[in-house]
Amino acid sequence: MTALTGPRLLVVGALWRRSLNEVLRVRGALLPATVAPVVFLLGMSGQFGRLTGLEGFPTDSYLSWVVPLSCLQGAGFAGAATGANLARDIEQGLFDRFLVAPVPRGVLLSGPILGAITRCLVPATVVLLVGLALGAELTGGLVGLLALYVAAAAFCAIAAMWGIFMAVTFKTQQAGPLMQQGVFLAVFLSTAYTPQPLLRGWLADVATLNPVTHVLELARQATVAGIEPSLTHTLPGVLALAGMGVAFGALCLVGLRRMGR
Amino acid sequence: MKGALAHDARVVGALGRRALTVQFRRAQLLMPTFVLPLMLLAVIASGTSAAQGLRQFPDVDSYLGFVVPGTIIQGTLLGGLTTGIALAGDIEGGFFDRLLVAPVHRAGLVVGRLAGTVSLAVLQVSFFLAVAAIFGASYPGGAVGVVATVLLGALTAVGIGGIAAAVALRTGSLSLLQSIFPFVFIFLFTAPAFFPRDLLLPVLRDISSFNPLTYIVEGVRGLLTGDPALGHPATAFAVAAALALATTALATLALRERLRTT
Repeated sequence: MTALTGPRLLVVGALWRRSLNEVLRVRGALLPATVAPVVFLLGMSGQFGRLTGLEGFPTDSYLSWVVPLSCLQGAGFAGAATGANLARDIEQGLFDRFLVAPVPRGVLLSGPILGAITRCLVPATVVLLVGLALGAELTGGLVGLLALYVAAAAFCAIAAMWGIFMAVTFKTQQAGPLMQQGVFLAVFLSTAYTPQPLLRGWLADVATLNPVTHVLELARQATVAGIEPSLTHTLPGVLALAGMGVAFGALCLVGLRRMGR
Repeated sequence: MKGALAHDARVVGALGRRALTVQFRRAQLLMPTFVLPLMLLAVIASGTSAAQGLRQFPDVDSYLGFVVPGTIIQGTLLGGLTTGIALAGDIEGGFFDRLLVAPVHRAGLVVGRLAGTVSLAVLQVSFFLAVAAIFGASYPGGAVGVVATVLLGALTAVGIGGIAAAVALRTGSLSLLQSIFPFVFIFLFTAPAFFPRDLLLPVLRDISSFNPLTYIVEGVRGLLTGDPALGHPATAFAVAAALALATTALATLALRERLRTT
């Protein structure tokens, strides 16, 4: 793995600043990634709020159940946008200039991924505040809150790596919907709507295999009364995030190495 | 008079065909209109089917059949928005200016675009109903219910397309139209798209009575299940027709305003 020292750190810092500049310069750049999860939060809790009446539902507040989901969704969309931005840089030829810089290729990705993690704090926080304002409970206290933010930030980094992999593979902004919908599928093919015992049919099997189910459990320690902060609810999520990080990180590096050959 | 009408009809037909062809040429436009609603249908149908265990949940043959009206409405919303996006693209790209100098009735330019929306909606709704049927949805309303659903979906898409076209003509901004994508879901989620109205949270239930899509989605449900207790098709058609007329007029006014100011 590339050691981040001296000049490499400067490159990472410069690319991090560049990806943040995008938010400052493009008015409303964060709007879709923030509005969509808030709309889903409000819509889902309004539509399916009565599901908490089913036996086996761990909380009586559906809003508390979906707040972590919407935080992850917002973080994921913010992450996937990194891929769309990279695809634009590739199309416009800017990334070719980066590739001839005397730094390892992996370093070129660290800045944009850090930028995505920083950006994702906005939708995650907005969703959380809207949820709390409407009655969601912060049952997990500070430890739960930490778990929620760790889950959102790490999931954002993974979504960014997925987006980057798509960008270096297809080299076009037209792959944008694929990046977003990959995140959408990953989040919703899990225990998004109901807990595992209440899932029916094929989704029950898919949610068991989907690592995002464990990430959601990690995040839900913040707001779901039946999922208290503990190692039992934390460890599977951390391992799932680490596994996805290694897998998508490797895909990114392989895709980058192929570029220009 | 008759000749002028035939001429206008040819223009509308040609513009409608072009709108549909462009849609199918750009596969990335098909993704949100055809694939996204089905993805949401799949996860909602499987993820929330335990809701049938709730008291007050209507006794229905198939849960998938109960939620597919929400997918149809979502499809018409996204299809309508695509109309606006494509129109804004034509405005930004300069093609619309070329249309304006053609010797055709100006309202025909709006109606032609909406004719493409109708064709797209017919394809979308038929596709959604077929896929849902393959995966186990049943439609006790029979063939008449299915055909009426397709027609109602097409009429609703004209209503939504009219709003999107009005925004496109008023602003001419492709990026604005693209960024209102998440807001479309507000209309979807403030209607009983996937759950019975009586089981919505009280605030949402109150809001839903002001959303025209509420009556349309319930009408589709009534048509597909053949159970008028779940929705009144006649009300749905009346609401969809009123929406289509009002928004087409709005888009035509926006076109006039555009011609006056540019």
